[in-house]
Amino acid sequence: MQCIPYGPNAWLICFADEVGDLAFERGRAISRELEENSPGGLREYVLAYTSVLLIFGEPNVKHVQRPISQVIEQLEKILDRRVPSAEVKEIPVRYEGPDLARVAEHNGISESEAIEIHSATVYKVYMLGFAPGFPYLGELDSRLHTPRLESPRAKVPAGSVAIGGEHTGVYSVPNPGGWNLIGSTEVKLFDPGNEEGEFYLRAGDRVRFTKA
Amino acid sequence: MGGPRDSAVLEVLSSGMGITVQDGGRIGWRKFGVPMGGAMDDHAARAANVMVDNAPDMPVLELLMQGQRFKVRQDCWLAIAGADGSSTIPVWHAHKLSVGSELEFPVSRHGVWIYVAVAGGFDADEAFGSRSASIRSEIGSAIEAGKMLRRLEDRRLQMPDSISGRGASWNEHRDYAKPPVLRVWPGPQWNAFPETARETLFENEWSVTSQSDRVGYRLAGESIEAPRIDLISEPVRIGSIQVPANGQPIVTLRDGPTVGGYPKIGMVDPRDLSWLVQCRPNQAVRFRPYEPQ
Repeated sequence: MQCIPYGPNAWLICFADEVGDLAFERGRAISRELEENSPGGLREYVLAYTSVLLIFGEPNVKHVQRPISQVIEQLEKILDRRVPSAEVKEIPVRYEGPDLARVAEHNGISESEAIEIHSATVYKVYMLGFAPGFPYLGELDSRLHTPRLESPRAKVPAGSVAIGGEHTGVYSVPNPGGWNLIGSTEVKLFDPGNEEGEFYLRAGDRVRFTKA
Repeated sequence: MGGPRDSAVLEVLSSGMGITVQDGGRIGWRKFGVPMGGAMDDHAARAANVMVDNAPDMPVLELLMQGQRFKVRQDCWLAIAGADGSSTIPVWHAHKLSVGSELEFPVSRHGVWIYVAVAGGFDADEAFGSRSASIRSEIGSAIEAGKMLRRLEDRRLQMPDSISGRGASWNEHRDYAKPPVLRVWPGPQWNAFPETARETLFENEWSVTSQSDRVGYRLAGESIEAPRIDLISEPVRIGSIQVPANGQPIVTLRDGPTVGGYPKIGMVDPRDLSWLVQCRPNQAVRFRPYEPQ
């Protein structure tokens, strides 16, 4: 694993060279280790496609910080340990988005074929970011890849299911956006104040879209 | 009748260019895409809290530039720190205000962000262990005219009646027109940038543009040559100097995205960010490499 210093008390650990199954499984193993055996003094971690950011607190009397090399050793030990897969989460979608026709036309398929393809894949949640609870999903079938809109919409409502280039995702909060809107869901990916959990998805989850 | 906590300290008459409540921010939620939030200028927010005997990260009002007006609804001590909005209370001072009086910030003279603290802190809805509003992320909300602002804790500043003011210690005062040269740590892609790019960063002046807000500050200057790499999106720390293809750097700030795909040449030292955020549009800043003491 490559360990890059990133400002005071923080390191970026790179655990894979490319996005894919290996990176996904390693990311799951790492976040589980960090949740269950948090290295002393770790303040916060952020998991991404192929890297994880570790931010430590200022070293002080209460937290004698272990050298980063020991933390790397700890993570290398569990790196290729397989974490059992959780159940596949479902997101029911009404496939009636204003850009569904554009996606179908761009790829030379019918709208119902586009819906079939989009809802047939089990997607990996590589990371959350861009906005609270916004999932970076992989991988979108190449028959649905569609360029972003030439001029972004000023406000895309939360719950919009969309395709941007090679990616698909769900807007978790209203935001400006240039992705093609193919449908919408009532599932709240970000639900502040919900005591059962503010986030419907977490990095490491698997998810499927179903026809509502 | 409600208790003392239910009675307002300030009534907002005008929100001017903008008001939010901010504290020390949220820790541990960035892995869910939730930005840290918190006071843009943490030095000034802390100085304001200290003047009214609060813990340094208690919730304060963060005012953008100018135009805010408040009516005082009960006798109270208020502290002002950060930018200078020509208020009745001078910056870096706390004053006792009487019920019925007004507090206003008519004209911005220096800096960008003004902090107002009250003993006990200002109340606002709590989410993720913080009362900081991050509007872009739909957490909390902007404070509008008509809003009654209350204390978080029912605590008054205990001072003898004869004393009507107190100041922050002199070494806390800042002249935002003269920021120091800001210290920069190497970013994750430091070595991927050509040597000339690092020279461009450190040897030139950078101008803060008007496209700057709580999410990030865009700087303008000589174009920095970005490395020809296809970066897989990775975590981004606050203070990161990102360089998009146009070579004009963006410094990620409190409400900025938690992950991103632009190469990061450096990261402004967290202690120096409070200087950067107080730079007004067109103001010049310079950077230098961080050197361990």
